[in-house]
Amino acid sequence: MKIICLVKFTPDVDQFQYDYEKNILIRENVKLVINPDDACALGFALGLKKKTPEVVIEAVTMGPLNVTAMMADILRRKVDLATILSDRQYVGSDTYATSRIIGKYLETADYDVILTGSHSRDGDTAQIPGQLAEYLKLNQISQIRKIDQPSMLNKRALVEVDSEKYLETYEIPLPAILSVGRESNYRLPFVRYDDLDLDVSDRLRIIDNDSLAVDSKKIGLKGSPTKVIKSYPIDYQKKEQVIVKNDDQGIDMVMAFLEKEGYL
Amino acid sequence: MKKKCLFFYEEDQGNYVKDLLEVARQMYGENFESYALVINPLDVNVISGFDYLLAVKDQRLKDYDLINITSLMAECQQVYQFDAVIVLATQLGRMLSPRLAMRLHVGLVADITAIKSHPDGTIEMIRPAFEGKLLAGIINDGDGPTMMSVRPGVFLDQQSTAKIPEVLACQLQTIEDTGMRRISQIRKPDSRDIRESRVLVAGGGGVLKDFDQLDQLAQALGGMTAASRRIVDSNKADRTIQVGQSGKTVHPELYIALGIYGALQHVAGLNKVKHLIAVNTNIKAPICSLADIVVEGDAAEFVRKLTTRINENKQAE
Amino acid sequence: MTKEIVLEGLKKLLTNEQINVDADDLYDATADRYKKYAKAKKVLDNPSPCAIVYPKNSSEVSDLLMFCNQNQVNVIPRSGKTATEGGLENWKELAVVIDGKNLNEIVNIDTYNMQATIQAGVALQDLEDELRKVGYTTGHSPQSKPVAQYGGLVATRSIGQLSTLYGGIEDMVVGLECVFPNGHISRIKNVPRRAGGPDIRHIAIGNEGTLCYITEVTIKIFKHFPENNKFYGYLIKDIDTGIKVLREVFTNSYRPSVARAYSEEDARQHFYHFHKDKCVLIFMAEGPQAIVEATGAGIEEAVEKFQEGIIEQVDSSLIEDWFNHLNWSQQDIDDEVEEMINNDSHSGYTTEISADWATVSQIYDNVIKRIRSEFRFADDLTMLGGHSSHSYLNGTNMYFVYQYTINCEPEDEFRMYHHPLQTIIVEETLKLGGSMCHHHGIGKYRNQWTRQEHGSAYYMLETLKEAFDPKGIMSYGNIYYQEDAAKYQQ
Ligand SMILES: Cc1cc2nc3c(=O)[nH]c(=O)nc-3n(C[C@H](O)[C@H](O)[C@H](O)COP(=O)(O)OP(=O)(O)OC[C@H]3O[C@@H](n4cnc5c(N)ncnc54)[C@H](O)[C@@H]3O)c2cc1C
Ligand SMILES: Cc1cc2nc3c(=O)[nH]c(=O)nc-3n(C[C@H](O)[C@H](O)[C@H](O)COP(=O)(O)OP(=O)(O)OC[C@H]3O[C@@H](n4cnc5c(N)ncnc54)[C@H](O)[C@@H]3O)c2cc1C
Repeated sequence: MKIICLVKFTPDVDQFQYDYEKNILIRENVKLVINPDDACALGFALGLKKKTPEVVIEAVTMGPLNVTAMMADILRRKVDLATILSDRQYVGSDTYATSRIIGKYLETADYDVILTGSHSRDGDTAQIPGQLAEYLKLNQISQIRKIDQPSMLNKRALVEVDSEKYLETYEIPLPAILSVGRESNYRLPFVRYDDLDLDVSDRLRIIDNDSLAVDSKKIGLKGSPTKVIKSYPIDYQKKEQVIVKNDDQGIDMVMAFLEKEGYL
Repeated sequence: MKKKCLFFYEEDQGNYVKDLLEVARQMYGENFESYALVINPLDVNVISGFDYLLAVKDQRLKDYDLINITSLMAECQQVYQFDAVIVLATQLGRMLSPRLAMRLHVGLVADITAIKSHPDGTIEMIRPAFEGKLLAGIINDGDGPTMMSVRPGVFLDQQSTAKIPEVLACQLQTIEDTGMRRISQIRKPDSRDIRESRVLVAGGGGVLKDFDQLDQLAQALGGMTAASRRIVDSNKADRTIQVGQSGKTVHPELYIALGIYGALQHVAGLNKVKHLIAVNTNIKAPICSLADIVVEGDAAEFVRKLTTRINENKQAE
Repeated sequence: MTKEIVLEGLKKLLTNEQINVDADDLYDATADRYKKYAKAKKVLDNPSPCAIVYPKNSSEVSDLLMFCNQNQVNVIPRSGKTATEGGLENWKELAVVIDGKNLNEIVNIDTYNMQATIQAGVALQDLEDELRKVGYTTGHSPQSKPVAQYGGLVATRSIGQLSTLYGGIEDMVVGLECVFPNGHISRIKNVPRRAGGPDIRHIAIGNEGTLCYITEVTIKIFKHFPENNKFYGYLIKDIDTGIKVLREVFTNSYRPSVARAYSEEDARQHFYHFHKDKCVLIFMAEGPQAIVEATGAGIEEAVEKFQEGIIEQVDSSLIEDWFNHLNWSQQDIDDEVEEMINNDSHSGYTTEISADWATVSQIYDNVIKRIRSEFRFADDLTMLGGHSSHSYLNGTNMYFVYQYTINCEPEDEFRMYHHPLQTIIVEETLKLGGSMCHHHGIGKYRNQWTRQEHGSAYYMLETLKEAFDPKGIMSYGNIYYQEDAAKYQQ
């Protein structure tokens, strides 16, 4: 069985920078971390592989080349293959353009199932899995809490989904896109101490647009239908603190505050 | 000519879908026609506020069948040429909207929180990014309808008309077998998690004897109670509601700290709390340094006073 | 020899209640806080001891030691279990933990001669509570006070947070009783001072279970004047200013009981409510009124002298309040385990060194620089800083504190984070002539450097081991490097 896991590296939100003039995110030089939901999906795949060694896992990401070291780390966690779709022309792609780029790669790739996270931490848009599913004409489902391992191997996956009000179980014929949520608690194993410097270069591929050949009008900033035209940084003002007594006046103050901030 | 807006109507989210009319209003003023699309409704008569209702009855169409729902909506788009498609960001809506956007070859802006309508007709959709660190204003400059999703409760339908929509016939032309099946569906138990509560009323050593009373205040504020370890240690509360380094990390908008000292290990569990009210007999307790309002005095008494006041207010309304 | 035969042998010496072979308890006895994370996650790979035994008196201790000595069974003495450096970790297939639980008697409190005698399993807090009832104090206040017991406190050469007035444990111990591997029981008598040859108390104090088992201790007690306590706190420009003020105070012969300088990062952990991202300097003056007044004046004078480095004075009630919230209880220790299990994080680690006044700031800077530039996982550090908390006439200590996001499997944690960090601290300290271990003991993970720490004097340390524990059954791996066990350190 061949599993493709889509992963995205998101900037450590606490230190992100933004190019306010060009209105694009500067992804270079910011510490990147693997998107938590994606880590769960990979964690599930690696768990399955541990039990069923013939499972082959390929991790696919689209992004700038500074994710290479992190993709190498993913290989050191026992993933078999890593593919980075990277090209200068891809910079600034919105989710639509991104889905087309990844979709173009997946069209020709070999897989039985595609695993992704449900949400990404930076944009929290949850769009790529759905858009890709449409592009590849596959079933897709988000917020998966649990995937039944044997059913996966039988190509009819049983998945448990947390849809706000309900817990639901679905049967989905493979291939399909299964999007795992953080609540699944599938844990991505860390690189073991002895593997920290393992050479994985022979299992890591970088594919640019010369070989992928997505129509250059459909990628990057100009190929993206949605454009960020403006950003509004949220200013963090220093709090003015008030100290009141526990009397009627104090309660009045608290009530006024709760009222003003919409808690009542 | 009036703009046409399509709304995807989920029956059990009816009021929230109706709120989306406000989004259309902010884009087009009154110059729009609203179309709600509903699949296999139990009762069309309760659907109100929209101009038109596209009610599809087709037992082959399941509510989770995104491929065919997408086809249906794409067919409607073909017929009506909507200017905007607005979807509620529910579990279903969040899967449906990207699929439909790809099908229609248009961009999609998810989870918008505000709209700016520019004089030249450009619609700017504003959404938070980076865990709310930044708001991004986004436009859609491709062809086809403007598509967006909106979280429930972000916009409020200000007009709330009871207009009865005109029902339009609508049928899916070709249905394909997706092979996907729902095997079971069970309602989730109502066990709430303090990590999901917008308001937390938390007690510590200073309300050891009166910890039970916090619940009244939490209820009055529609929140939950939480506790410091001192409370958990003395068996007044379960560990599942302990905030802190060895408990849970919470991010409510409002945290009311009642008789909590503010040890670093407790405060380590407070993540991006927007507002903090600290009630403490000792206003030099570290927790007070984090508070918007510090109330100096007995915490249990404060709880009683504030609860009474909130409930009086509610009755007055 | 097998585990079964060891148990058979133990049963001949003790009653069944005195022998514990509960699997959870044995796992617990496999390691201490050095490997706290791997331990909490249940992935320890070193051997568990065969049994934990609870002798009731020194003659039972003597029998046990003789049995183990004859049969080459490793002995791990144990008291309050707060050891931080691997002192309680087991590296031998055959091992017995001798726990002081039943040696829990406060034998005598003698306020006339200002001394108290306790068995090794008495918790410091219990003795302190008894003394306070009659207006006295032990003067010993390590952060582990609620949990640590006298056997461990003496065996590790511990020190308390009031050390600058009352001294370390070595200044408090008057006499003691201890048992050697051959079964010999030595009692060192309680006298004010003597010139009767080398001070043999120091063979037991700080032996970390490698030479003898401590069964009883007599310590000094002090009159307590808590009502006179005065607190001082300052925000300061840098840690070096703090060190300079500390030196000024101590070289002028003042003896405040608390005297500490914190780096910005460390200050945040303790004083987030007032430190304003600055370093913090604090003092507490304690004792009879007149001494407190004089000490206070001495502190103010020293602060005045280094005024350009002082940013502002802090409300003294904040310092007093902090002081009252300082100690770790057993609940705190258990809670950290809970945190490790559930949240994959812990409260960090510490490494404590000492050096003279002239070099301590240099060591601090070198360490921080080297960690920042050389430590492979520096990006994961969420906090790196330190404080000086125990000062002497000729120098002070530096207590490095570090926390990090644990980005590894629990099995790898100590070798990916704590050990490499500790290595840098030890190396930088030894390079400049400081001591690599101020008060936690050498344990098992600093024994690689014991020779270097002692230089030519290592001969004396080595000879003690050969003389008192020729078969090497006591706390295998503590203090003395063991080639055969290096696998556990890598
Ligand atoms: C490793 C470790 C992990 C820990 N994990 C956690 C954790 O996850 N969560 C946690 O909470 N703690 C944790 N702790 C414990 C923490 O250090 C504190 O001991 C604990 O938070 C104290 O709880 P408290 O503030 O409720 O109680 P106290 O320290 O007893 O404080 C009570 C407060 O109430 C005030 N007060 C007293 N009477 C009144 C009154 N009548 N009205 C109003 N105010 C009053 C007092 O002035 C004081 O500020 C941990 C500690 C360690 C070492
Ligand atoms: C939260 C915390 C705070 C701490 N704060 C301080 C501090 O402020 N100052 C300080 O100095 N230390 C501190 N420590 C370290 C530790 O508390 C001390 O080393 C303490 O002295 C250990 O005492 P214990 O009774 O817990 O001994 P244990 O942990 O049981 O044993 C410690 C060592 O002594 C040996 N030993 C124990 N009993 C005997 C005996 N009867 N005979 C011979 N050897 C024996 C053991 O084999 C082991 O090597 C702290 C530790 C923790 C966890």
